[in-house]
Amino acid sequence: MVDQKKLVEVAKETLARKDVKYIIGYKKGSYGFQTSAAFAYTPKDVEQFIFTPLCNKNLAKYPLKEEKLPLKRGEEEDKRKIGIVVKGCDSRAITQIIQENGMNREEVVLLGIPCPGVINQKEIEKRFPNQSEITEINEINDEYVFTIEGKEHKIPKQELLAEVCKTCDYPNPVLYDVMIGEEVEVNPKEEYEGIKELEEASLEDRWEYWEEQFQSCIRCYACREACPLCYCSTCMADLLEPQWIRRSVNLSENTAWNIMRAFHLAGRCINCGACENACPMDIPLMELNKKLGKEVKEMFEYTPGLDIDAKPLLGSFNPDDPEEFIK
Amino acid sequence: MESLVISKEKSPELINTIIKSYRLFAPTEEKGFSGFNIITDNSEIDLSYLNSRMPPKAILFNQTETLFLMEPGAKGTIKPKEIRKDKTAIFAIRPCDAKGFSILDPVFLGNYVDPLYKANRDNSVLIGLSCNQPDSSCFCTSFGDSPASGKYVDILFTDIEENYLVEVMTEKGKAFVNDFSRFFSPASPKQIEAKEAKEKEAIKLIKRNLKIEGIEEKMDKMFNHPIWEEYAKKCIGCGTCTYLCPTCHCFDMQDESTLEKGARVRVWDACMFPEYTMHTSGHNPRPARMHRVRNRFYHKFSYFPKNSDVIACTGCGRCIRYCPVNIDIIELMNRVSEMVL
Repeated sequence: MVDQKKLVEVAKETLARKDVKYIIGYKKGSYGFQTSAAFAYTPKDVEQFIFTPLCNKNLAKYPLKEEKLPLKRGEEEDKRKIGIVVKGCDSRAITQIIQENGMNREEVVLLGIPCPGVINQKEIEKRFPNQSEITEINEINDEYVFTIEGKEHKIPKQELLAEVCKTCDYPNPVLYDVMIGEEVEVNPKEEYEGIKELEEASLEDRWEYWEEQFQSCIRCYACREACPLCYCSTCMADLLEPQWIRRSVNLSENTAWNIMRAFHLAGRCINCGACENACPMDIPLMELNKKLGKEVKEMFEYTPGLDIDAKPLLGSFNPDDPEEFIK
Repeated sequence: MESLVISKEKSPELINTIIKSYRLFAPTEEKGFSGFNIITDNSEIDLSYLNSRMPPKAILFNQTETLFLMEPGAKGTIKPKEIRKDKTAIFAIRPCDAKGFSILDPVFLGNYVDPLYKANRDNSVLIGLSCNQPDSSCFCTSFGDSPASGKYVDILFTDIEENYLVEVMTEKGKAFVNDFSRFFSPASPKQIEAKEAKEKEAIKLIKRNLKIEGIEEKMDKMFNHPIWEEYAKKCIGCGTCTYLCPTCHCFDMQDESTLEKGARVRVWDACMFPEYTMHTSGHNPRPARMHRVRNRFYHKFSYFPKNSDVIACTGCGRCIRYCPVNIDIIELMNRVSEMVL
């Protein structure tokens, strides 16, 4: 468990710095098993900060979402830093963004959380569908413990753990300014276990599977907006001249969108699962991302989001690449 | 209002008879959640749902609608789209979603009548199914409605154990029931009471309440309040809340063509996208997410009631349940309600 007192303490210290504008962390949500992003401008705001197994949203997107409206005459740009509470995956997202020049290291202060893994939001809401009361969950000895209407529930961690966390190799932040607590132990896992079945299926079966998934896409772009690596100022999907993807919502255009989204994340996706969590139609987007991540790893021996000074995969050339695909 | 009953044993046969003369939409299981689809047999229906993921508004107001077909070029032609005439029935629509149509009506049947929506609406019979099990995000009672309200449907079914109580609410509903009269028998006072008991139980299960009293007047004075910025900060700007809303109705027009053929289509649009208000000049009157988030709540609780005398929210709870960042319309509007200005 993450020491929440320490988190609040560190956040307060960070906020007191003259060069910090505000800090983004987690607070309790409005109902049930929800948690919410919290934007702390004052020490009092910081006191709401929590870190529980329900803090499963990726906050790395928010600095990029900050809107810079035109300055009024005489007004100066506020160039102070933004503080962010980051788990392992969030820190990889920030690392990747910095690597791609989407952000400068100086723009952010990272409060690193060694992450014990977070809960799959959709799974817990499916298992306890009528929970309106705000419910806190603690992790005790590999079990999630919480109380609903006076009854205590103890659920084995593996049953509720988010899929991406089950195979996470980087639970400890790879980039941080302050680390809150001790690093957690990393157990190497078979990262691509989850897509094995799909890989082994026939082309026809795979196509049928994805057709069904893409058919249900409503093109709300929640996947794009939630993804910390989808930060182009104008998305290709929004362009009108040329219009790469039509606005009609049908299998053809939905497929174009979903494939394009996945392609643009090849060698960039850091496996946080934010897209899949956000999808209101439960499309298993991480299966696509994982497959591409696997190809990238096998072809180029490359893992994104680990080093701010490394070159992005598609911006680099390495004569030692295995190149087994060119034969 | 006439109250009838149909036994659960007989209802599959009724459904299969309706299918012979109607395009029947009903909730079916779609990859783990519920959706309204055209069914060809009663066995496809899944009534174990709380509510469908997508609101049935998509049946009468399609996400993508072709307005006319065309052949581009100097000698181009335009071929008007044929308006649907087939009879449609929507079975097991929830009262909140049926109310959604009553909110779309002033938009599409008001000063300018949309012929496509009108045809769909006129040709459809709404057969409601009371919610005996509302969920944690439901709040239809906040608007004076009930999970077992027949106000917005033509016919309302309520599950009363062995039977469905069938309340005939409109002339259209009456004509429909008459066509299938052999399936129904008059309800006994006991059965009517059973429905009332179910309704009371269901209302008790609704735990959340959005305080609407005086909200419109309150909002008149809150346009520049920092609360909008506070919520906009965590909004990521996706279209989930609008697309899953049974009352949101904004759309975009697109000409989609190849060199040989094309069509003008109407597709849902979302006020949460920056492009939604973007002018051709490059000027955007709602440049920041704060403007867009604020507009969404003002449209529902201020502008729409001013224009059409009804709050454009039915309490279905979808925007709360599926918002990826926990922007909760009840939490926000209650803060507005309770605010001392």
